[in-house]
Amino acid sequence: MRCSLAVATLAIGLAAAARAAAPAAPAAPVRAAADSCLSCHATLKDERLRKPAELATSDIHHAQGITCAGCHGGDPAATDSSAAMDPRKGFVGVFAPRAIPEMCGSCHSNAAYMLRYAPNIPTDQLSQYRTSKHGLALAKGATDVAVCSSCHGAHGVRPPSDARSPVYPTRVVETCARCHADVALMNRYGIKGNEVEEYKKSVHYAALMEKNDLSAPTCKSCHGAHGATPPGVDSVANVCGTCHVSQLEKFDQSPHKDAFAALQQPACEACHSNHAIGQPQDSWIGVADKQVCGACHSAGDAGATAATAISGALASTVAAEASVGARVARVKRAGMLMDAADVKLEDAHQAYIMATVEIHTAIPARVEKQTATALADTSAADKDAAAAEKEIRYRRTGLFVSLVVIAIAMVTLAFKVRSMER
Amino acid sequence: MRALDKLWHALDERFELEPIVEFVTHKVVPRHRHSWAYYFGGLTLFFFLVQVATGILLLLYYRPTAEAAFESVQFIVTRVPFGWLVRSVHSWSANLMILSAFAHMFSVYFMGSYAKPRELTWWTGFALLGLAMGFGFSGYLLPWNTLSYFATRVGTDMVSKVPFAGAWLLKFLRGGNEVTGATLTRFFGFHVAVLPMLTTLLLGVHLALIQRQGMHVPVSLEEEAKKRKPIRFVPNFMLREGVVWLLGLAALAALAAFFPWELGTKADPFASAPAGIKPEWYFLFVFETLKLLPAHLFGIEGELLGLGAFAAGGLVWFLVPVLDRGRPGGGRGRTFFVLGWLVLAYIVGFTFASFAGVFK
Amino acid sequence: MRAADETPAVSRRIALNWLLGTSLGATLVAALYPVFRFVIPPRVAEAPVNRVLAGKLSQLPDNSGKIFRFGSKPGILIRTPTGKVRAFSAVCTHLGCTVQYRPDLQHIWCACHNGQYDLQGKNISGPPPRPLEAYKVDITGDDVYVTKGA
Repeated sequence: MRCSLAVATLAIGLAAAARAAAPAAPAAPVRAAADSCLSCHATLKDERLRKPAELATSDIHHAQGITCAGCHGGDPAATDSSAAMDPRKGFVGVFAPRAIPEMCGSCHSNAAYMLRYAPNIPTDQLSQYRTSKHGLALAKGATDVAVCSSCHGAHGVRPPSDARSPVYPTRVVETCARCHADVALMNRYGIKGNEVEEYKKSVHYAALMEKNDLSAPTCKSCHGAHGATPPGVDSVANVCGTCHVSQLEKFDQSPHKDAFAALQQPACEACHSNHAIGQPQDSWIGVADKQVCGACHSAGDAGATAATAISGALASTVAAEASVGARVARVKRAGMLMDAADVKLEDAHQAYIMATVEIHTAIPARVEKQTATALADTSAADKDAAAAEKEIRYRRTGLFVSLVVIAIAMVTLAFKVRSMER
Repeated sequence: MRALDKLWHALDERFELEPIVEFVTHKVVPRHRHSWAYYFGGLTLFFFLVQVATGILLLLYYRPTAEAAFESVQFIVTRVPFGWLVRSVHSWSANLMILSAFAHMFSVYFMGSYAKPRELTWWTGFALLGLAMGFGFSGYLLPWNTLSYFATRVGTDMVSKVPFAGAWLLKFLRGGNEVTGATLTRFFGFHVAVLPMLTTLLLGVHLALIQRQGMHVPVSLEEEAKKRKPIRFVPNFMLREGVVWLLGLAALAALAAFFPWELGTKADPFASAPAGIKPEWYFLFVFETLKLLPAHLFGIEGELLGLGAFAAGGLVWFLVPVLDRGRPGGGRGRTFFVLGWLVLAYIVGFTFASFAGVFK
Repeated sequence: MRAADETPAVSRRIALNWLLGTSLGATLVAALYPVFRFVIPPRVAEAPVNRVLAGKLSQLPDNSGKIFRFGSKPGILIRTPTGKVRAFSAVCTHLGCTVQYRPDLQHIWCACHNGQYDLQGKNISGPPPRPLEAYKVDITGDDVYVTKGA
């Protein structure tokens, strides 16, 4: 008993020493034989003091053997509370916001230390954080900005891949919203505070929540997580382009690229907005009210002419797809084999989708090249439908002929009966 | 010719065929101003034979599984030569058979032919109509398209209202709690094995009874029938029936030509039911009536009450030969005559009103 | 006198019989011809449900792909650089374009929005939200059969 106690004391002594020296020489994981912090706090009536002990059991750090003292210091082997929470033993009860990033970073920025626990997680969070809007404000003395625990939780920290973690893709938006939906707080920093609300109208949020597409962008996908900062005007396109590669490539070939740069206009955002990114509509193209080109172009200029050409090409394709599609569906329901026409319609739709990517070049000829392909495909499908309709008419004619034959047989038979019965 | 005579002689010697020939050559059909009504039974038989022939043809390619049923019907109508025709004729002939059976039933009813001694003929005919509707109901699902799938779901759901045995009946019909591939397999079994067997049996009895008892002449037409020379069954009536059959064939050809039966889209059990789900037209009067009933009536579920009323009505219709005591001077009772017209008006009225969209 | 009376009647009866026989025969032919045609199976002897002949092994070199069809829906047959044959639905899970094999990327690629799938059909880059549906491949001699839903 005494022996094991001695070993434990020694271990804790080593751990304390290691902590004092961290991050220079991080200690090996320490599993304390007895943790008086947990056993005592778990029995406390005050929920504020009891909760951390309860949450600790689901904490990734706790699971890895890092005790309460790993962050708070003190002496977990001591049974007396004043000895256990002795500030001389490095005990800190409540961390000041400014102390938190440094405290977490003391381990998380130490590549050699992190390698032992989680070799694949990055160790640049603290340095990123220092560049973030949060980190910069914190450095200036703000206390109402996000620190590590604001997003990850203080006790009961789970890895971000855990669906219960507040930074899991489907939950991170709400986590950001805890502060960013607070209009009064945001206004103090010159932020509107409606960004999350706007984002929730976007196709990205719909993809995330309705299709459960975890790769759909959340707040952090564009703003960064630890280095959270709005992308600058000149980097918006790069941010969107990380996923929308083809559109960016086409945009770079467009006359808009240089024009937007000269006007200090963000590239994608100019037409697609930033947070409330909706499903793009062909009807956006033009200079009329509620059409995006009208922001810079007006009727009669080269841009308006190009927009008219592009929207006309798209509209004719959509109309052709709809009318031919309906015709093919009609003959298909009538029982004709329309596989070939279906394939052509699919090809046409693919060309249409390619055309909607080509829009980003803002060059009518490029869009029209795709819509011409689409129209060729729809007209081929239309020919198939016409041929099928002709076949239906041919069958009808054949049946009509046999109908005449049957009628003749019927009439002659009737005559025969009459002549027999006379 | 001599060889044929010899063959006939040999057969007659063994099977005593002479009485049958004697019977057939002397068989007559009475002639009066409502003789036309005698052709509907034969016409129904014609459509039934067309059903058997086209049904067997469809069996060559049809596959009764949820995965392959729609595709196989699609294959039949798109790739098999004249598959579209065979399928279209099968569908139309089914409808015309029911129509002609209804015409047959009502003409028999109004002539009072169900009365003694022809009760059994009426009952077998009643059962045959039930079987024909069973054919229609089970066959409707087989192409496994959206419309048929949902119509079957609604239709089978009704049996669950039957007191006590409802749940069991539903499971028996559907082969589970839902309309699935299991239901399809089951309905296929009913459609091509159970119902044809029962129909053949009952049809045999029905026809044998008619041969045995001869055609019925209503009292009011007896005078006229006595005065006029009856039609010899062979060959005159047969040839006349032939004209009617050719008319039926012509109707099938015309319908197949101008209203080819559609394929629809493949059933998707997880899709929501499309608007305007309707059963086959011969169930429409039941369907629309049940829809009109309030949810609760006299403390009983409206639909249950409606089904109960239809069951009771069907029973009365079935028991007409017993219930109708006739008039003292001969002939059928006035009550049942009026009832017949009311039933006919109700069925025709509701069916047409449903097509006209009155119940929307 | 009688003979003169009868001749038109007789000839009319003969004509009627001839017409009756011919038209009944024609009706019979009209009814039976479709039946005879129906019982002879078409060239494609089976409803293509969930198994198709997707291609020939000998025409599918390593590091190449080929589009085949389940009815009107495209599938893609690929042969990896190491010679493994796999099949997937060729309908991009993003907006339904037809994907293709890119020998230079050694990936399956969608031209519409630059979506990429690896050789297991998993979405690895670009907008596709889900992997491509995988099909079962059976190789009999030189024939490559693909089965859906297996």
